[in-house]
Amino acid sequence: MTKPVVEISRLKKIYKGASKPAVDDLSFCVMEGDIFGLLGPNGAGKSTTLMILCGLLHLTEGSVRVLNCDVGRQNGEIRKQIGIATQDIALFPTMTARENLTYFGRMYGLKKKTIRERVDSTLHEFGLMEKADTWVLHFSGGMKRRLNLVAALLHQPRLLILDEPTSGVDVQSRTMILDHMKKLQREGCTIIYSSHLLDEAEKICSQFAIIDGGRLIASGTLQEMLAGQKEACNLENMFLQLTGRDIRN
Amino acid sequence: MKTLATVKKEFLLVIRDPGGLAMLFFMPLILVIVMTLIQDNTFREFQESSLDILFIDQDQGELGKNISQALQATGHIHLISTEEGEPVTAERAHYLVQKGIYKAAVIIPPDATTMFKEKIKHSARLFLASYGLAPRPAKNKQFPPQNIDIIYDPVIKANYRMALTEAMEKMLTGLQTDWLITEIQKRFDGITGKKGGRINLSAMIEITQKSALEDDQRAIPLTAVQHNVPAWSMFAMFFILYPLAGNFIREREDGSMMRLRLIAGSSFSVIAGKFGFYLTICLLQLVTMLAAGLYLMPMLGLSKLALGSNYAGIILAGLAVAMAATGYGLFIAVYFKTAQQALSFGAISIVILSAIGGIWVPVLVMPPIMQELSPFSPLNWGLSAFNDLFIRNTPTADILPSITKLMAFAVLTLTASILVYKSRLRL
Repeated sequence: MTKPVVEISRLKKIYKGASKPAVDDLSFCVMEGDIFGLLGPNGAGKSTTLMILCGLLHLTEGSVRVLNCDVGRQNGEIRKQIGIATQDIALFPTMTARENLTYFGRMYGLKKKTIRERVDSTLHEFGLMEKADTWVLHFSGGMKRRLNLVAALLHQPRLLILDEPTSGVDVQSRTMILDHMKKLQREGCTIIYSSHLLDEAEKICSQFAIIDGGRLIASGTLQEMLAGQKEACNLENMFLQLTGRDIRN
Repeated sequence: MKTLATVKKEFLLVIRDPGGLAMLFFMPLILVIVMTLIQDNTFREFQESSLDILFIDQDQGELGKNISQALQATGHIHLISTEEGEPVTAERAHYLVQKGIYKAAVIIPPDATTMFKEKIKHSARLFLASYGLAPRPAKNKQFPPQNIDIIYDPVIKANYRMALTEAMEKMLTGLQTDWLITEIQKRFDGITGKKGGRINLSAMIEITQKSALEDDQRAIPLTAVQHNVPAWSMFAMFFILYPLAGNFIREREDGSMMRLRLIAGSSFSVIAGKFGFYLTICLLQLVTMLAAGLYLMPMLGLSKLALGSNYAGIILAGLAVAMAATGYGLFIAVYFKTAQQALSFGAISIVILSAIGGIWVPVLVMPPIMQELSPFSPLNWGLSAFNDLFIRNTPTADILPSITKLMAFAVLTLTASILVYKSRLRL
């Protein structure tokens, strides 16, 4: 029996000065061990939802629990157990891969020996060992993206939040990242995956939530969602049927 | 451990940025040297009233000799009588002053001593005759006019002109009195047939100059080096906001700051680590600038920086200024959302605070309204502390008011930085 890792109930977020909510009456659960695809067009409210999950944004209404802790009141506890790899390469370009990881490891409060071991093993796993002592500035886009993910995994989080983890990378790096996501899932890590690459999401995610205009418009497994949209044959097709073809800003 | 990790990270980022390093150490060094060289002459003029003047003695008698000695004894006047080994004539002196090559010339006319003495003798005879002690001299005796000319360049400063004229008048009055009394005494000797006692003509009341400082040996004049080294050191230290805010905002924009924000309990460590690192950089900047004042500036013909002897006070003042500068830089970095806003506001605010604080020109030569504003600038607090230590060699207790203000400013800006940083964590 799997337990919920993330429980979002009637979540509402209105930014200061905004006329309408960025997220409105949003409810869904992410179960332990899932790779959960949080999908939606630009401006749908995905990033706002993820920021609230991490405790980086105040929620206006509703409740959010992550790993049995209340967001807002137990952010410290939550942050110890989550890892996040944002769309931005959140690394220091004039530090080497090893120096970056060692720094983040120390900030996570890991012991020196543990950091050394985990840095070596993760760099090796992600094919970055040879470039361990090269400045990140000189890395290719794919290498930076892989290292960005490694930095989120150092403290072995129970919940991993990935925002466009394969954006702008070559097929080889993408395959490696996706393989590692599956490996992490097998090891018991729950992953929330946000992306516009729907074919990739279809392959890797076990559960989905599609939001648009801040509201949940579909959720469940791919089969469950397709069952509700009889004319759709795949995720992308269904996504377009649900969200329309209008260009979003 | 987290704070130390941040200090190490900041060190790696700064050490690998040659442009940033140059801005932290090389540019301030150039700035302090250039400013000191530019202002050296102005400060010398402010401190010294030494003047080269032409002295044309056509008399070659006692009068010219006495005037020459008296003027040189002032210590502020240097007499020049020859040009390329040849004596300067009165006409040539006129020409040289007119051309502005010399600021003034003193011309003693021929036979001035003889004529002066004749006048003295005549006055003495008149004086004694009034008591019936000597035959009355011819009443209508005429003496040809004998003026000592002082020729000035019109651009000469009023205080120089006044100093020279007053020195001449004082000397001539003294000499006239001296010679007149001597002449009267000689005539009394002749009348009485015996050599009487001599009036002591040395000054009966002496004026002595004393420094207000307890230990006069420690009094250091405010030279360009004494002003500019601490002043521009502080300016450079406050400019720490440039790399600090630059790095901070870059981290915020590239997302690494968000990663750090998501690490539990990292806020304090991030702020404290940055504060600690840039505080150290500020102190290193100060040491570099002081070393330049001690060793480099004398090589450039400038005076050597005098540090005084209160080293504990210097360390305390340096630490207080470094804390205030880092706190301010951190606040600017945290408060502003873009690098352009932070760096523009930061740079302009420091230029204004430094101008008000007496960095560009000393407070004492500012107009009264600016002098009233000066005490509101943290740079003025620091400069006051350093001036007290370097020039007046004051004990630490005397600089505590300035130190307290700097520390309070540092605590205020640091606290505000932490509060703003934390408030921005969650919107």
